[in-house]
Amino acid sequence: MFSKQKPLWGKKKKLKSSYDVVLIGGGLHSLATAYFLAKEHGITDIAIIEKNFIGFGGAGRNTAIVRANQRTQHNIPLYKEALDLWPVLTKDLDYNLMFNNCGNLNLMHSEAAMKAARMTISTAQFHGVESHLIDAKDAKDLVPALNISDDITFPIHGAMFHPPGGIVRHDAVVWGLAKGAAEKGVEIHQQTEALAIGTNNGKVTSVTTSGGVINTKQVLISAGGYSAGLINGMLGIKLPISVLTIQAMVTQPLKPLLNHVVSSGAYHCYANQTLKGEIATGAHMDPWPNYTNLSTAHFIKHQAEALCEFLPCLQGVRFMRIWGGLADMTPDMAPILEGNNHIDGFFMNCGWGYFGFKSCSSAGKYMAEYMATNECPDMLKPFALKRYEEHKLMGETAALVNYSPDN
Amino acid sequence: MALTITCPICGKRNGYEFKFGGEEKGPRPDEKDLTPEAWCGYVHMNNCVAGVQKEWWFHRDGCGSWFTIYRDTTTNFEVEKAEATK
Repeated sequence: MFSKQKPLWGKKKKLKSSYDVVLIGGGLHSLATAYFLAKEHGITDIAIIEKNFIGFGGAGRNTAIVRANQRTQHNIPLYKEALDLWPVLTKDLDYNLMFNNCGNLNLMHSEAAMKAARMTISTAQFHGVESHLIDAKDAKDLVPALNISDDITFPIHGAMFHPPGGIVRHDAVVWGLAKGAAEKGVEIHQQTEALAIGTNNGKVTSVTTSGGVINTKQVLISAGGYSAGLINGMLGIKLPISVLTIQAMVTQPLKPLLNHVVSSGAYHCYANQTLKGEIATGAHMDPWPNYTNLSTAHFIKHQAEALCEFLPCLQGVRFMRIWGGLADMTPDMAPILEGNNHIDGFFMNCGWGYFGFKSCSSAGKYMAEYMATNECPDMLKPFALKRYEEHKLMGETAALVNYSPDN
Repeated sequence: MALTITCPICGKRNGYEFKFGGEEKGPRPDEKDLTPEAWCGYVHMNNCVAGVQKEWWFHRDGCGSWFTIYRDTTTNFEVEKAEATK
């Protein structure tokens, strides 16, 4: 990471004393925002301030699944655009993002779940996103490894099939966006910690970092799971967020057997086969907020049990690696995108929960528009913080620890 | 990482026996003159501290008590009150 080799995003530069825009956090949302600010709005005097290294957090810890079959009318267009952007970015960045649009198969294990799926599918179809309801036999035709017998804990009743979704190599997106942004003049400062945001008369004036003070009029906190703590710590703005560690793991590499992303709400498990052959699987969230990023024996057991039931051919396969990352969960499973609200020049992009990866391309694009024009694009208007105070929570299924009976 | 919680009645037990009950936010605000902002603050807003916080737990698979502890969110270890409020 910090070897003598010149990285794709250019040589290490000295931190200047002023920038037009400072982005706190070196994850995908920051990188995408910087890239689109430079590409579409001609703003190139940008510093990305990253405490560790780019892609250290959620960007390198998610399970790389992308899809646009969320539940509400506000969310779907944002994720649809993100999905549509993968081939465009691959071309524009001239970088192989390894987008494998293999489709997502979301298993349903009860008639109630089938009914819920019908609603979700209708919303997707209304917004022009391909999504179908299929029965268990069709699901078995798509993924022959599935166990559709009745003698498992949660027998499969059917599935929601969403062909445009799939997997994108998350590290490639980090490197590609970093390269693309740097080519346009964006500076990426790794191992630099943002310590404070200076304000004067309700306006942003500076950002204090471990590398010195930067004068700036615009700052974005887009630091994944660390955002809520930073925003509260630096500016005293509290957010309706709980930060949970979410775990994932991969098996040893196998011959191709899963040509779709398979997920199950009842088993609380999803699985996809990476281009290398490993089965990447995950979904367990710690039922209490924490920043540990650590994995648990409890989860390894749960995951092995779930996979052995609905994908019995995986019995005896070894897990190779397990890891954790942070998910900043909101009560309505939708993000918070705000700007110029509390303080002029201060923007925030957080609360993505475990949807941060699949949304990064479009969220970055619209956040860049927001920062460049100082006007909230229509696409982001539903995601204002004010919605909680107005009791206008979105209808995505909340999975927040102290709100829901499950989890 | 695994977690243990010390219940005031049952003692130190496996964390999975408990349900997290949210950050300690003080008493429920008075309904007289309550603004949507203040209510939203009480219901939804969190400090999200990366460090020691005071929080509620419910011994769901045990005696059913509700109680508060201090826990370091970066390690999952409980912290003694004397240490946490120093």
